[in-house]
Amino acid sequence: MSVQHLHIAAGEHKHLVIAHVSDETAQWRITQEKDSVLTIHLFCLEKDDDTTCNALLDIEQVGEYAETYIYGLGVLTGKQQINVRTHVRHSVPNGKSSQLLKFAVKDNARAEFVGELIVAPNAQHTDARQTNRNVLLSPTATMHTQPQLEIYADDVKCSHGATTGQIDESALFYMQQRGIAPDEARRLLLTAFFHDVLTTLGEQEVEERIQRRIAEKLQ
Amino acid sequence: MLDIKNLHASIAGKEILKGINLHINAGETHAIMGPNGAGKSTLSAVLAGNPAYTVTEGEVTFNGKDLLSMAPEVRAREGLFLSFQYPVEIPGVSMTNFMRAAVNAKREHQGMPALNAGEFLKLMRAKRSLVELDNKLTGRSVNEGFSGGEKKRNEIFQMAMLEPCLSILDETDSGLDIDALRIVAEGVNKLHTEENATIVITHYQRLLDYIVPDYVHILADGQIVRTGGKELALELEEKGYAGLMQ
Ligand SMILES: Nc1ncnc2c1ncn2[C@@H]1O[C@H](COP(=O)(O)OP(=O)(O)OP(=O)(O)O)[C@@H](O)[C@H]1O
Ligand SMILES: [Mg+2]
Repeated sequence: MSVQHLHIAAGEHKHLVIAHVSDETAQWRITQEKDSVLTIHLFCLEKDDDTTCNALLDIEQVGEYAETYIYGLGVLTGKQQINVRTHVRHSVPNGKSSQLLKFAVKDNARAEFVGELIVAPNAQHTDARQTNRNVLLSPTATMHTQPQLEIYADDVKCSHGATTGQIDESALFYMQQRGIAPDEARRLLLTAFFHDVLTTLGEQEVEERIQRRIAEKLQ
Repeated sequence: MLDIKNLHASIAGKEILKGINLHINAGETHAIMGPNGAGKSTLSAVLAGNPAYTVTEGEVTFNGKDLLSMAPEVRAREGLFLSFQYPVEIPGVSMTNFMRAAVNAKREHQGMPALNAGEFLKLMRAKRSLVELDNKLTGRSVNEGFSGGEKKRNEIFQMAMLEPCLSILDETDSGLDIDALRIVAEGVNKLHTEENATIVITHYQRLLDYIVPDYVHILADGQIVRTGGKELALELEEKGYAGLMQ
């Protein structure tokens, strides 16, 4: 297991795409200087139904006015397992971080998301958000989500939310009543589910490629 | 076209339909009326194939085929359409993508090629005007944030798009204002031909002033207890269920 170190210099903008994390641990340690912007896109769309993926993102803001954005999505099928852990530490004031992670879990697959968010005592005016939404597509699929917030400063804006649900059966039946096959209906519903993560890519072509991958995985 | 024989159905172990018999020919309009909780929506849900209900007895033939053995989407492609009493909101799925999937699924079932983008938009525009559905609404997610009346209008728009052979309209009049009721009813009438049939579920004579039924059935406690012509609805309006059933 190797750790990749990354230092983002003052004012630098960095975009990281982590797409292949099968059967290995993608572990990143990243520090961010003043005014730097880090955007991470994490995709777990491995075709192989038997893979285990681990992604560990350890990020620290050491300079003020740094911004961190983490967007992730995953579709897990068969016996796949994924373990995503984000560790975002605001060590200085005026930082911003926003995380949006969504997983669809099917068959006997299992997904785990642990989101650690730490706001140091002097990191006043931090604006930190963490959202994790999941949908279970089979009764045997499991999702484990665990937000861990440690906030030691008092003048901050922090929010987090985690939900795990199922495909809306009434929507599914409504679509079937109009002639749409259940597989196609589920694909449309999941495209809607992932929509806000996909649009953060800002590139139509990549967005469509990922959508096709999602559809392939669900077949 | 539709032949229901001794249909029994239950939900959560509770029997709701207790032996329905109903025969519908092409070209006919049937109204089903009945007190709240009688089983009217249950009947439409069972015909549409809602998996929440269990059919315990009886059979249904639709254009010579066994309806109850078909999956819900196959029933739809075979020409059965249900205008829901409570249309479902589907956030994030656009009306356009939804309708395109529906129309093309039916065309494929009939051995016809999918519509191209231009043809599809032309069809949308033509059918939208039939029920005067606002352009803005078809640009949004399916039913999301639609008002009660807009949802009902949207149901009839979808009916126009899919040109079903049997349409079941479950309280399509509820939630519609006076003008919308007329527009929607006129839309339904325009879609009516000698080849298709309509079941209108309603509580009010007002709708039947516009959509004039050939037969009126009273459904009470899971059974059709009376059948008559359009005058039965007027009698009902006058006497109420209690008076009618004496
Ligand atoms: N999940 C359920 N469990 C138990 N009973 C149910 C369930 N769903 C519906 N019912 C019951 O089935 C009966 C028939 O309901 P249905 O919706 O078919 O009535 P309806 O004739 O359409 O009434 P309305 O005029 O109010 O629309 C009602 O008594 C209702 O409470
Ligand atoms: Mg009802």
